[in-house]
Amino acid sequence: MDERGIWEKIADKLRSKSLWMLHYCTGCGAMELPPTMTSRFDMERFGMGPMATPRQADILFITGYLNTKTLRRVIYTYEKMADPKYVIGFGSCTLNGGIYYDSYGTINKLDYYLPVDLYIAGCMPRPEALLEAFNELMRMIRNGEANGWKKYKENYEWYKNNQLRSLGEVYVHDEFHE
Amino acid sequence: MTNSMNEVINNVKNIASQVVINEIDEREIKLELNEKEVINVLSYLKGNGFSHLSLMTVVDWIAENKFEIVYILFSWETGNKIIVSTKIDRKEAKFVTIKHLWPTARFYEREIHEFFGIEFKGNDDMKPLFLEIWDDIPPLRKDFDPLEYSKKKFPDREYEKDVIHEAKIIRGDING
Repeated sequence: MDERGIWEKIADKLRSKSLWMLHYCTGCGAMELPPTMTSRFDMERFGMGPMATPRQADILFITGYLNTKTLRRVIYTYEKMADPKYVIGFGSCTLNGGIYYDSYGTINKLDYYLPVDLYIAGCMPRPEALLEAFNELMRMIRNGEANGWKKYKENYEWYKNNQLRSLGEVYVHDEFHE
Repeated sequence: MTNSMNEVINNVKNIASQVVINEIDEREIKLELNEKEVINVLSYLKGNGFSHLSLMTVVDWIAENKFEIVYILFSWETGNKIIVSTKIDRKEAKFVTIKHLWPTARFYEREIHEFFGIEFKGNDDMKPLFLEIWDDIPPLRKDFDPLEYSKKKFPDREYEKDVIHEAKIIRGDING
């Protein structure tokens, strides 16, 4: 753990109070987000809100299963996000593949491809588990423990090699990217 | 079976020399046809009420060494459903397109080409539809092993067994 200066500590405190999460939902776990956002659980009382664009967002949710096809777009999106950025892996699919562990298209282990700050286990985790995870993430940011984005920069070669092994190439070929 | 269905079946028997008829339901029937007579029967059915192609798909009968191509047709006038199927050789997986009868079949054929490796003569649009940079045999064939592929491409997590923790659960020190 590197030593943080006083300004960095203040900045981390402020960062933990204003988190914007990217509105990009990859799997069935995204179903748990609307009840978390709306009046019953009301995520905004923690200072969190949905954000439409990656460049303004802080948190990337990987909700549930992730295909090779989606992973390419997710890596694009993650690399577009500004520092500091945090990744939450949601559901058992991101941990070990879940019920899709033997699928030809579903990746089994998210932290081989992107640095994951926090995992929420289960299929599916309830909104309460989500709020618990948000609180934990805020605590980690305040203590300077959520530094996956630094790890991604330091171990970029390792992440890139894993991405290339599973995806062939990360470049997206379709009518929107050519 | 309804009267309109009987009429259609009698006409199909005239068109096709070999046809096996399975009655599934009052309004649902399956016709197993010879490879060469499928297109005739399909074009007859299309002209006689069954204008809607609900689904086109393939079943892999690996023990018989056959691919079964299945067309599901629906009639909006009578509500009847006809399943037309034919078996082709698995080694030489080739069939003719029905793009001229139903333009939507173009995408079904693209999908079948991608997931089963069957070529359709007359359909020149055989770009991959869903998979990106696929490097193995088509994934929905029965001889494709998804677990092996998954292990090769997406390494699994290795768990270490925590013996002390388990012993504590067994002794009742902590709740498991």
